[in-house]
Amino acid sequence: MNDWQPKITAFLCNWCSYGAADLAGVSRLQYPSNIRVIRVPCSARVSPKLILAAFRHGADGVWVSG
Amino acid sequence: MITFKMNGKTVQGEEGQYILQVAQKYGIDIPTLCYHKALEPAGMCRLCTVELFDGRRTRFVTACNYPIWEGMEVKTDSEAVRKGRKLIVELLFARCPDVPLLKNLAKKYGIVEPRFKKEQDDCILCGLCTRICEKMGNAAISLTGRGTEMKVDTPFHIQTEYCMGCGACASVCPTGHIKLEDISKHAVKKIPSEYDMGLKGRKPIYVPYAQAIPNIPAIDRSKCMHFKTGGCKICAEFCGVGAIDYTQKDEIIELEVGAIILAPGFQPFDPSKHDTYNYARLPNVVTSMEFERILSASGPTMGHLARMSDHKEPKKIAWLQCVGSREIHPSDHPYCSSVCCMYAIKEAVIAKEHSGADLECAIFYMDMRTHGKEFERYYDAAREKHGVRFIRCRVHTVEGVPGTEDLSVRYATEDGALHKETFDMVVLSVGLESSPEVMELAGKLGIDLTESHFCRTGSFAPVATSKEGIYVCGAFQGPKDIPQSVIEASSAAARAGALLSSARNTLTKTKEVIEQKDTRGERPRIGVFVCHCGINIGSVVDVPAVRDYAKTLPYVEYVADNLYSCSQDTQDAMTQVIKANNLNRIVVAACTPKTHEPLFQETLVAAGLNKYLFEMTNIRNQDSWVHKESPSKATVKAKDLVRMATAKVALMEGLPEAALDVNQRALVIGGGISGMAAAKTLSDQGYQVDLIEREPVLGGQAINLYKTWQGEDIQENLKTLVTSVQGDKNIETHLGAELTQVEGFVGNFKSTFKAGGTKGTLEHGIAVLATGCYEHKPEEYLYGKDPRILTHQELDRKFIDQDSSLKRIKCAVFIQCVGSREPERPYCSRVCCTHSIGSALHLKEINPGMDVYILNRDIRTYGERELLYRAAREAGVIFIRFSRAQKPRVTVGKEGIEIEVMDHVLQRPVIVMADLLTLASAIVPYKDEKLAQFFKVPMSEDGFFVEAHAKLGPSQFATDGVFLCGMAHYPKPIDESVAQAQAAASRAVTLLARKNISVSGMVAYANPAVCSSCGVCVEICPYSAPSFIPKGPFAGKAEINPVLCKGCGLCVSSCRSGALNLKGFEEGQIMAMINEM
Repeated sequence: MNDWQPKITAFLCNWCSYGAADLAGVSRLQYPSNIRVIRVPCSARVSPKLILAAFRHGADGVWVSG
Repeated sequence: MITFKMNGKTVQGEEGQYILQVAQKYGIDIPTLCYHKALEPAGMCRLCTVELFDGRRTRFVTACNYPIWEGMEVKTDSEAVRKGRKLIVELLFARCPDVPLLKNLAKKYGIVEPRFKKEQDDCILCGLCTRICEKMGNAAISLTGRGTEMKVDTPFHIQTEYCMGCGACASVCPTGHIKLEDISKHAVKKIPSEYDMGLKGRKPIYVPYAQAIPNIPAIDRSKCMHFKTGGCKICAEFCGVGAIDYTQKDEIIELEVGAIILAPGFQPFDPSKHDTYNYARLPNVVTSMEFERILSASGPTMGHLARMSDHKEPKKIAWLQCVGSREIHPSDHPYCSSVCCMYAIKEAVIAKEHSGADLECAIFYMDMRTHGKEFERYYDAAREKHGVRFIRCRVHTVEGVPGTEDLSVRYATEDGALHKETFDMVVLSVGLESSPEVMELAGKLGIDLTESHFCRTGSFAPVATSKEGIYVCGAFQGPKDIPQSVIEASSAAARAGALLSSARNTLTKTKEVIEQKDTRGERPRIGVFVCHCGINIGSVVDVPAVRDYAKTLPYVEYVADNLYSCSQDTQDAMTQVIKANNLNRIVVAACTPKTHEPLFQETLVAAGLNKYLFEMTNIRNQDSWVHKESPSKATVKAKDLVRMATAKVALMEGLPEAALDVNQRALVIGGGISGMAAAKTLSDQGYQVDLIEREPVLGGQAINLYKTWQGEDIQENLKTLVTSVQGDKNIETHLGAELTQVEGFVGNFKSTFKAGGTKGTLEHGIAVLATGCYEHKPEEYLYGKDPRILTHQELDRKFIDQDSSLKRIKCAVFIQCVGSREPERPYCSRVCCTHSIGSALHLKEINPGMDVYILNRDIRTYGERELLYRAAREAGVIFIRFSRAQKPRVTVGKEGIEIEVMDHVLQRPVIVMADLLTLASAIVPYKDEKLAQFFKVPMSEDGFFVEAHAKLGPSQFATDGVFLCGMAHYPKPIDESVAQAQAAASRAVTLLARKNISVSGMVAYANPAVCSSCGVCVEICPYSAPSFIPKGPFAGKAEINPVLCKGCGLCVSSCRSGALNLKGFEEGQIMAMINEM
């Protein structure tokens, strides 16, 4: 159980958080690789349906950022 | 290619490579101490020893400098190798027992205590330093002595002249033995990073800052060793595309232009001139610019709030305002820098956000100048919600607390009491000034400067310099904040554009249009391109494996990996590949779509594909760069991302980008100074304008104003402006007219107006809202009860009429903030302080013996208006400050108007008998809800229109095609109104000049058959794109106007019937990505 890692789905707004994730790369900040990013035009695009779908497909956490 | 065996596995390397290089390529770990990829290997430390079988016998060689040959067999981790390495580590550990690197190595090899005699050395004689020094084209150090006497040294063991202090030796030394101060005779300094205000160092080859455009490194020739010695060239060796060119020289380029815009900005005031602040001596006294960097996530502390001297988190920070500003000392500036009050409050609030609420922030100020839109609210929130302490005092000395890194500040409060307080950090709110280079430029161009060294401009032409064809914007025009700078930038562009309008489109080139293939109904044929990005991706992610994996995915017909996918030759090759393989969907796995998506979309277009048949996935910024330590996991992630992208792209469709004609006429609403200036600017650019004004005359509030703060006669200038508008054949004015209806959207508006008994219809492509404000009628201070109690405009009217009664006045009083900065109107009206001071000075001119008092809460004469404040004090105008809790009391008696006010210096009430009382009453917006609805634009709770972006879009609305200027945006003086009017016209021209607008393909669309007519989409869309279908079979159902839609998807996720969807981000497409996660 100790080496269990959660699977995280992130919906990132193209204009802010996605850019911030890019900047984290430019700054070479290191973070765990168990996150999968879906770029959306705006966090407003993320409906509850999409969040539930992510959980249904095995995500342990969903992060909506915008 | 040479094939041989490494640890039993067949491996391949290039002719001339060494064993170590091949091992590194295959991810086989061989420890090294003296190896550096930029240097020729030397085999000094012997740690990389491996076992080599040459077919007959086994021997030990150093992997770093043993060349590979066909058929050799290498073992990198055999028992014998490990034993040998352990002995080497043990010997080195005995030599340097205190070096962390060797302690760790010893631990790794299970050595607790070396068997050999311990020495207290810290040099392992790897020779990296001497080799790199040689590589740098220098020979300041070398290995001297023989056998046990060998060491790294300078000639004659003394500091040498020849060392240039490049620091290469120290940077490669694995043990920390090399100290530059032992080697160099010259003082060695790190190269200060200009962007980080010297708080951090930078390299001689560097990208100036993360968002630099172009985002490519530059070589600082004054620091680069190659330009000093001809050596080094390491960057050229490592650059995969050969981009380093040492022969580049500065060039002089001659341009022929019709207009020049000066936007050279400002330099922050240098407080090291003041020994009283001890800025140069105490490291924890920083400038506000340095503090900005400390707060920044990309700054020297990565956004962690810490002081520079000891990295301690500060618990108490003081800001000292007006450093270098509002000071008559010759090394300072007498003007106000306009922006420091607001930025200090912002820094204090952000610092508290970073450090938590227990951080104590104190701002020492003279007058709090939060005169910008929404600034007063921010000030109130900082004081009341965030607990920032505001102390009205000019601190004159900052001293270090002996024995600590803390700082002591002595100050006096308003009651006269002296205090001494200790702070962890002191931030100097430094002002803005023109740099000597800018002043020199102004001299060369022959343009006039003010006494404060800013560009001289007039209120009615705020961006025109004294020389025709040269315009100015930003802080060189006068100290100012971002919104005003952006306004002036657009304004200067408008003036230059007007000057050059006859030449518009004469130098444009048209692009060749490639016919688009119709891919509808075709089975997806996906091409996947995986990028190495040099070593940026390739050194972490196994790119060939990702490429091969992509080939196994559904509908993928073609895969490739590129060293640099964005290079021109790769782009051309991609175009050919797309055509040759008949691909109809493309995935690029590379860097970020934020910068490179448009480039690849162009490649698609060049290959005859619709640009939306594309998906880009980010395996650099969000993968290889952030998971450097775990290449295998990064590779798994890259494969997942490629799988998700292909799943989505298979469902992508070609999207049309409809072009829409833009009606070339403009409508300007409001015939005041702003409206007329906007109309005039549009006309100067060659456009037809309808100018509509509700009053029967043009002029707006300016009709009642006397002089600008710069002393220009407003009536005279107004007359000139009105005449030029009325005589302009491009402008049609509609007086006494009011809008009754507006239909349509950007490019195609249809407005109906009523003037007198008649109705008219106007068709226009854009609209400028310049509806202005009016002067508040005060409800306090006995206004309206006595003819001697006036408002500003009423006094100005007397000035205009040259009322002779003014000469007889013995004592005049002004009361500030009447109706402003009050709970019911919590904003500052911006212009009243300057207006009162201007009027006070004029009264003094009329009768120098007159006593004039200005009762105020703060004097907000920002920028060079401060000079007027000084002039007023010199002329004997008396300023008395009151607080909102203790407002002046006004009574009317026989002898005159009696005004009682608590004097802030005497701390006791004083009574002034005046025969003129002027109330600086608030500026109030019309709150025209109907107009807001017509154009679907938002309004703040104060009743001002809300611009698209407070800083970057101050003269336009979020709704396309609608622009904003003047006091309808916020109270402002004439110069700023004219600038914003020109800016609004400028923004409008960017639309009009295109003649048609292409609509993004990624827009929402409705399926009316499913729509339940709930109206949520209509209600929530910030751009007013959804509406109800007015008639026909689907009447009452929602439809989306693709022209207005910005493709955010807010309506889509809010639609409870599932009637809405977003092209390019369809439900099914996002679901496909989730499915593949």
